[in-house]
Amino acid sequence: MIELLPQAASLIFTIEGIGVLVLGTMLGIILGALPGIGSTVAVAMILPFTLTMSQAPAILLLLAVYAGSVYGGSLSAILINTPGTPQSAATCLDGYPMAQRGEAGLALGWSTVASMIGGLTSAVVLLLAAPQLAALALNFGPIETFALILLGLTCIVSVSEGSLVKGLLAGGIGLFLGCVGGDPITGEARFTFGQFQLISGFNLLAVVIGVFALSEVLLRAASRDEADHGLVSFSGIVLPPLAAWRGRIKGLIKSVAIGNGIGILPGTGAATAAFISYAEAQRSSPNRKNFGKGEPDGLIASESANNAVTGGALVPTMALGIPGDAITAVMLATLTLHGVTPGIRLMADNPVLIAAIFSGFFVINLMLLPMGMLVAKGAAPLLRLREGYMLVLIVLLCAVGVYFVRGNPFDLLVMGVAGIIGFVLRRQGMPMAPLVIGMVLGPTLEISLRQGLIITDGSFGEFFRGHPIAVVLVALAIGMLSLPLIGAWRKKHAAPE
Amino acid sequence: MSVLTERRVTSLVLLLVGAALLSQTFGQAHSGLGAFSPMFFPRIVLGFWVAVAVLDIFAELRDHHVVTRPRLLRVTVIAVASLAFLVSMTRIGFFLAAAPFAVVALVTLGLRNPLSIAGVAVGVPAALVALFNHVLTLPLPTSPFAWWF
Repeated sequence: MIELLPQAASLIFTIEGIGVLVLGTMLGIILGALPGIGSTVAVAMILPFTLTMSQAPAILLLLAVYAGSVYGGSLSAILINTPGTPQSAATCLDGYPMAQRGEAGLALGWSTVASMIGGLTSAVVLLLAAPQLAALALNFGPIETFALILLGLTCIVSVSEGSLVKGLLAGGIGLFLGCVGGDPITGEARFTFGQFQLISGFNLLAVVIGVFALSEVLLRAASRDEADHGLVSFSGIVLPPLAAWRGRIKGLIKSVAIGNGIGILPGTGAATAAFISYAEAQRSSPNRKNFGKGEPDGLIASESANNAVTGGALVPTMALGIPGDAITAVMLATLTLHGVTPGIRLMADNPVLIAAIFSGFFVINLMLLPMGMLVAKGAAPLLRLREGYMLVLIVLLCAVGVYFVRGNPFDLLVMGVAGIIGFVLRRQGMPMAPLVIGMVLGPTLEISLRQGLIITDGSFGEFFRGHPIAVVLVALAIGMLSLPLIGAWRKKHAAPE
Repeated sequence: MSVLTERRVTSLVLLLVGAALLSQTFGQAHSGLGAFSPMFFPRIVLGFWVAVAVLDIFAELRDHHVVTRPRLLRVTVIAVASLAFLVSMTRIGFFLAAAPFAVVALVTLGLRNPLSIAGVAVGVPAALVALFNHVLTLPLPTSPFAWWF
């Protein structure tokens, strides 16, 4: 990978390349800062702008929006005590108290530097870990691929916020949606009910945008909570002096390691990383008594960890084609739309493109500091924007995004219906990430299972014989599924004490 | 309908939809072809769906969630307006579909300043049409009345 960096640089350091990195980071910060939009919707909204671009700039633009939006969430968390993205929720705990005592600029300074360091380390992890993982996966046949996808599906357990049963049900619905259309082996139409538009299946992006963005608009319209965005006084980011870092570097390294480690695990997500890192900092920091009252150590812990997740989360997505969460599921769909199929063959088939994407991701994170300083002051008044305007803008941009994928009116209808169904299911407490993960992984799971069974003459008994990697992957999948059950059992038996 | 009933009804509907779809996988000509059958994988998936949906109903019957009631009228108007906009934008053009949608949505969401509503309802779709149709030359659907919007 390292030897490809000069060729990769020739793809990034062009006028178009630099332009998309600057624009993408800027848009990402602004969209991430607006409460309710979040990284997933931000990436989905920017997608139509990339359709006329060539592969590398298009993917870099979306990565810039992704990384920028994760950082951007801290702006609203600190200035209006409302996390722009779920991963910035822990940032509110110390960021807003700092802002309330007149140190909003300094709080944003801490979060900007911590975000940049977290993101940079994650880019290095992505650059080093993804090719190793992909090299291992090159030996995979259909049975190993089946076992791998099965393992990928177990991340549904960890993204099932609150209810495992509802998460599994959403995953099952997603797997079914992936079955609609032509059978991948015989080509026969399945579950099309005479509708020729369904022969090619549901458009993934229309469903994703419907269940995430449109349903979010409906949920906000249905909500009785009126957003009260009281902006604290803020005149620009103030970088913390070098001396102020004394005694905090160890905590920063620990948080970055937590973020990177959690990022690689499919389905854990940046919000979890931020809270685990915050809890660890609260346990081990010498300033632990000030946590929750505006302590920079708390800000460093949450912001460095949530940005460190970004690169780590892309490792299984790029190397194995397994999206770890909703954002990487959207990224996966986006890459496919641009003719890049993430997964086992990705690194072998597109080495220069991948080197450009990975090194571009490093540059994006490097740019968080100057772009953050440039954009934050201008973006702050946008936080006063009435929610109604934002919701209308989301619907319009999502419609544009879905229309541009295939120009198919049916996709717009699918988006609308998916939005309404998504609203009903989310009110039910059903998480939407498992649905998307099921829909993305379903077709590969089906093909590998059926190919494997055809190889073994339909014998499930012979399926894993002579495939030790597949056995290990299935054992890991069973382990992942068992963890919450073991946790629940232990909790139940510990309760009487 | 109370929120609790709403959740239970939704769970029941999910079970019935799963069961109905599962029934579609039986009785087909190639149901005995094993892994070659197009219905082989959907049957496994739908079987899983139905099994988990049954568990979900039990969980809903046991649980007593405290959930705030939604603003039903508001959300219905936004949902219908969104659907109407999405269906009509390829027929009457993006601008002509988006402007009335924006007016309805903004008024429903509680905005009352007519100048702001008109500005956003006309300005945002017009800006998007100008950007995509005339700058990026990625045409959004135009109206049957004029090529430029």
